[in-house]
Amino acid sequence: MEGFYNFLNANAIFIVMIIVLIVWIGIFTFLYNLDKRLKGIEKGIKGDKHEK
Amino acid sequence: MVWKIFLFLLLAFVSVAGISFPIVENPQAWYQFPLIPGLEENAKIIFFHVPTAWLTVIGFLVSTIFSVKYLRKKNLDDDTKSYVAAQLGLIFCILATVTGAVWAKFAWGSYWSWDPRQTSIFALMLIYGAWFALRSSIESEDKRATLSAVYSILAFVTVPFFVFIMPRIMDGLHPGSADDKFTPSGGPVVNFKMNSSMLLIFFLSLIGFTILFYWMWNVGYRSLLLKEKFNKKLIRG
Repeated sequence: MEGFYNFLNANAIFIVMIIVLIVWIGIFTFLYNLDKRLKGIEKGIKGDKHEK
Repeated sequence: MVWKIFLFLLLAFVSVAGISFPIVENPQAWYQFPLIPGLEENAKIIFFHVPTAWLTVIGFLVSTIFSVKYLRKKNLDDDTKSYVAAQLGLIFCILATVTGAVWAKFAWGSYWSWDPRQTSIFALMLIYGAWFALRSSIESEDKRATLSAVYSILAFVTVPFFVFIMPRIMDGLHPGSADDKFTPSGGPVVNFKMNSSMLLIFFLSLIGFTILFYWMWNVGYRSLLLKEKFNKKLIRG
């Protein structure tokens, strides 16, 4: 772990890379969950129509 | 589901490669990028800044396509799709301007120089900003959709000129300008000394960002369509 820390300390560009990856994972997870929620609502509306 | 995993991996790879692959004078290994005099490490912005400008064009193009579709079929869903595409186009236009300005501070010495590329993207922002002002000032749905569609088509006529023509035929600081020493003919930015691995990451980035745009646009217009359905349901009781 300390070796990895020392490596990052000496190569700052990899810290930037890790931060960008974390941001990307965050954006992706947000979009994925939003898409899933929308699909759920769309299914619910379709279900309502069929019941009527 | 598969394409979402593909998109995640693709943009994760572009981020890792675009940021961490080293720039060296004489690239020997596949993961090395060539040194471009005058740009040096700043050249890596191409993997993230150019795709935002690319999505600006894609956003405005999709908006125009659905505007034409609306005028032909008068389906309000097409107006919603056009609106969301233009919204995303404007968001990416602002992102391209901001990332470009930050880069310019270190490459040219100042955030804003009224370079032809900066001037043209600023003009585009004003044109599409006016489009949103126009939309918000009309209450009638049909009238708003028709006027917006006509404006969107007229606005898009200026896009190729402002993005692909004007910044290339005029002298400027931006790579790809008429007096650019790396592209003497004033050709596209990709003509400057990129090697095959740099080109590959660049095009992978364009593909990844385009898929991301599709996803954002899809989620955006579906949510707006749902909102409109609920509003109509509420009005009807």
